Amino acid sequence: MTAPSHPAPGARRPPIEVGSLDYARKVPPPSGDYQWIYLWEKPLRFMHWIAALCIVLLALTGFYIGRPYFVPAGDPGDAYLMGWFRFVHFVAAALFVMTGIVRVYWLFMGNRFERLPALFPVRKRDFRNLFRIVKFYLMIEPEKAPKYLGHNPLQQLSYTGMYLVAALMVVTGFAMYGQSNPGGLIYTAFNWVNPAMGGAPIVRFVHHVLTWAFLIFIPIHVYLALRADALERTGTISSIISGGRFVESTEEFVDAE
Amino acid sequence: MFYPTSHPWSTDQSLGDHLAERGVSRRDFLEFCGSMCAVLGISSTMLPKVAAQLEAIKRPSIIWLQLQECTGCVESVLRTAEPSIGDLVLDMVSLDYQHTLMAGAGEAVERAKADAMAANKGKYILVVTGSIPLEANGMYLTIGGRTGREILEEAARDAAAIVGVGACAHFGSVQAARPNPTGAVGINKIITDKPVVNIAGCPPIGDVVTATLVHFLTFGRLPEMDSEGRPLFAYGKRIHDQCTRRAHFDAGQYVEVFDDEAARKGWCLYKVGCKGPAVFSPCPIFQWNTRTSWPIGAGHPCIGCTEPYFWDTMTPFYGRLPNVAGFGIESKVDTIGAALALGATAGVAAHAAATGLYQLRHRKQAEAEAAAGSSTPTKEG
Repeated sequence: MTAPSHPAPGARRPPIEVGSLDYARKVPPPSGDYQWIYLWEKPLRFMHWIAALCIVLLALTGFYIGRPYFVPAGDPGDAYLMGWFRFVHFVAAALFVMTGIVRVYWLFMGNRFERLPALFPVRKRDFRNLFRIVKFYLMIEPEKAPKYLGHNPLQQLSYTGMYLVAALMVVTGFAMYGQSNPGGLIYTAFNWVNPAMGGAPIVRFVHHVLTWAFLIFIPIHVYLALRADALERTGTISSIISGGRFVESTEEFVDAE
Repeated sequence: MFYPTSHPWSTDQSLGDHLAERGVSRRDFLEFCGSMCAVLGISSTMLPKVAAQLEAIKRPSIIWLQLQECTGCVESVLRTAEPSIGDLVLDMVSLDYQHTLMAGAGEAVERAKADAMAANKGKYILVVTGSIPLEANGMYLTIGGRTGREILEEAARDAAAIVGVGACAHFGSVQAARPNPTGAVGINKIITDKPVVNIAGCPPIGDVVTATLVHFLTFGRLPEMDSEGRPLFAYGKRIHDQCTRRAHFDAGQYVEVFDDEAARKGWCLYKVGCKGPAVFSPCPIFQWNTRTSWPIGAGHPCIGCTEPYFWDTMTPFYGRLPNVAGFGIESKVDTIGAALALGATAGVAAHAAATGLYQLRHRKQAEAEAAAGSSTPTKEG
């Protein structure tokens, strides 16, 4: 591998085209060598970052609710610490549910990388590729791994798994929340979960344990995204901010068509 | 009637006449009706109707079966605040059969029960405390040579209403806890063709039992119930939302151990395992022993005895989360979760290092190859 060629020192650089300032609509035209692929549309990107913020808030406040670690002294009238933690938790939860609603809507309205089928690697091709992707991450013949524009089968499995965890969190959360207003809307809609799971303490336990699923997922997810960005140099991190990434025109992709 | 009284309530006498004969003043009677309205959550404008209805009733018959249980529920009912047991359960109604309270014994009382059931066919109220063991053909509980199941099925057949009192009667309580050696089940597993009121608790508050009976006698039907069969007038709200220590919960002030300063100050028992946030019961309002106190009031966390199968679902009583079996006795979910999250982070770091090494090796290889065949230039972007 040789170093990338740079212009000779002192050579005039060709003018840079800034183009339209309407960045949101600007799609870089294919240059011949590279093409910018628009993968993640706005609802998905907003949903991702709002959900990420919510998950951090929910985990922090949730652990306090589970085991309160600050204890204010004095009269109970002077403090409302648990009250505020619960308030933040519930607001973040409501926002998180809304991101979930957006995601579900986008399962049907999104592009082919975002739609429902993209969540499940169930085709024969996907099964075969799944093992090659695992080998890729284990650095066994990584150059032979299939390349995907969108999510590879392993990503599909893990992200779908996290969607399921999120759904369970929402359901168990509402099951507990509803008990504060018996007969109310949330109680009526979700209280069946409590007996179905074997009692409210079990629901609380499941809700608590699943928090850790997020906390285990986050470092792996962030690392693999950083790694892909660093190694592949196609702007993987940027794709969840700008919506797309650059791919070489000569490269073959499993999900190109 | 096994309770000695100088003025037995004769079967053709109305309650109003009986009370007048007993010397109970009109005022006392209306006060009692008022307190029942309050307990049942009935508007005070209904008071005249409740009073008129109760006044007119004829002596109802109650058969009280005590099956697989500890008698704690009976003790609790005996300590009902309004009306006292002497005023209501024993005098106002005809308690035709009750192990603990009846004076008779043996075949005589079994015969008395059969007579009462025949005489009041379709009209008597069946109160049940205790669960029914089904293992070994029910031989873990026999009375007079018959199994609990037989006794219950026979008594339930012609009952006007069935009231299960206590955690045993619906969920089997401690004897149904894992591994449930006697195969104990609640009466609602046996009696499926009739509604069964579930006066939940271990033991329940006596006033709830009394008020449920009064509701049935007044309106001729059972009170509104939740999905567990518990009367909503009593079990419609969580302990947490009625708790006298709730201000400390919201403030973030918790008892850490039972003898700390916070415990003396009466702070919230959440961290020492209080199950109040998931338990529906009127304990904070009705309280116990003529409204003297209640568990949380006395400084003990709620153990959730009104909830289904609380011995299995609400344990450990002094911790917030269930223990995780199979990971060492002291391992808690947070320890395991933190270990896994740290493990994931460590794994990620190790993978990053391995990636670096892999890249380094490949670059060296590529450089070696490039050096070997430098005459063929490669396209690099």
